[in-house]
Amino acid sequence: MDTLMADLKEQIVEQLNLQDIKPGDIGDDQPLFVEGLGLDSIDALELIVLLQQKYKIKISNAEDGPKVFRSVRTMAEYIKAHQPA
Amino acid sequence: MLYIRSTGSISPQKTFGQAPFLTDPIVYRGNRLNCIEPEYKEIIDAKLIRRMSRIIKMGVTAALECLKEAGLTQPDAIVTGTAYGCLQDTEVFLSRIVENKEEMLTPTAFIQSTHNTVGAQIALMLQCHNYNNTFVHRGFSFESALLDAMTLLLENPDHHVLVGGVDEITDTSHVILSRLGLYRQGAAAGEGATFFLLTGLPSPADYARLEAVSTFYNPRTTAAAEQSISSFLASQSIDIHDIDLILTGRNGDEKNDAVYQQLGETIFKGRPLADYKNLCGEYPTSTAFALWMAANILKTGQGPRKILIYNHYLNRHHSLFLVSAC
Repeated sequence: MDTLMADLKEQIVEQLNLQDIKPGDIGDDQPLFVEGLGLDSIDALELIVLLQQKYKIKISNAEDGPKVFRSVRTMAEYIKAHQPA
Repeated sequence: MLYIRSTGSISPQKTFGQAPFLTDPIVYRGNRLNCIEPEYKEIIDAKLIRRMSRIIKMGVTAALECLKEAGLTQPDAIVTGTAYGCLQDTEVFLSRIVENKEEMLTPTAFIQSTHNTVGAQIALMLQCHNYNNTFVHRGFSFESALLDAMTLLLENPDHHVLVGGVDEITDTSHVILSRLGLYRQGAAAGEGATFFLLTGLPSPADYARLEAVSTFYNPRTTAAAEQSISSFLASQSIDIHDIDLILTGRNGDEKNDAVYQQLGETIFKGRPLADYKNLCGEYPTSTAFALWMAANILKTGQGPRKILIYNHYLNRHHSLFLVSAC
């Protein structure tokens, strides 16, 4: 789980081009959107594509989005639960 | 008639910020002139800058500098001219289409690749909901933006219109345009982002007066070009002897420059001529740099009082600007 979260942090920083933020600066439970890391709706789309490309996971139910992308930990939990065998 | 209230330019010369006007011009060798760019992090918010490609940063920064000089935060209109648009983002987007077999495309490069991104980003940063338009007409892109600004100010002379020309070179575009022969005969590729704040009412701080802009397309002969230039001057009730300096778009390409050479033996004969593309390179909106140069020359109040800018892009898009001291 820790390795997966570390990977996710690196991919988030790289994919979203978060300047002046290092992967280690992102807390496991830190909110990704609004008051936390300050991501927005375009970033949400980037994260959806990231899940599809890297982990072959498709978020089929749009209502799951806010729960899945709440933090790096919730993303990692969702990947663990849905990753193809 | 328009007044140039302020300017902002990022170019292959030291034109940004409080730099003195071309006191130490950079002489380039080779066939590519890249812009000297400022430290964008000091100017653009980190949250916004992460999605901006180079041309967007250049355009936004030049526009902000222009507004800052005029002490204005909300222009009444933003009009941009660009021939190539945001090439870097376009390349990223197209590459990903190929790499990902047309699936799972990320949105950022696509959103940022549209030609109107620079104008849109300026408006977003300023929270400016006023008129916003971008002209994409190859070698007439900046000219079209200027003509639109002129029309707007004819209706509302007290308004302030932010108008600019932006174009970039990328590695890919340079290779493709070189292959097409644009830089084969001695011309060098250029790029730049230059903005002006224009208004219809004079003020003591104005750089210069933009008296007229005109374009003509694909003249069959140099004599036809000469006729168009004469008509332009006649429409302003002046002749060539009233012009103190002619800024021409000579770019070092023998074929391209033949037009200027022939005009130098006819209508321009005996008149003071100067070039500008040795400073900024060849690109479709280079006349924005020429206008910046003319405005700065006239602002000094020494030397020329009336400048004619004459440029052609690939001998198809010909444009004329008449600029006077205030």
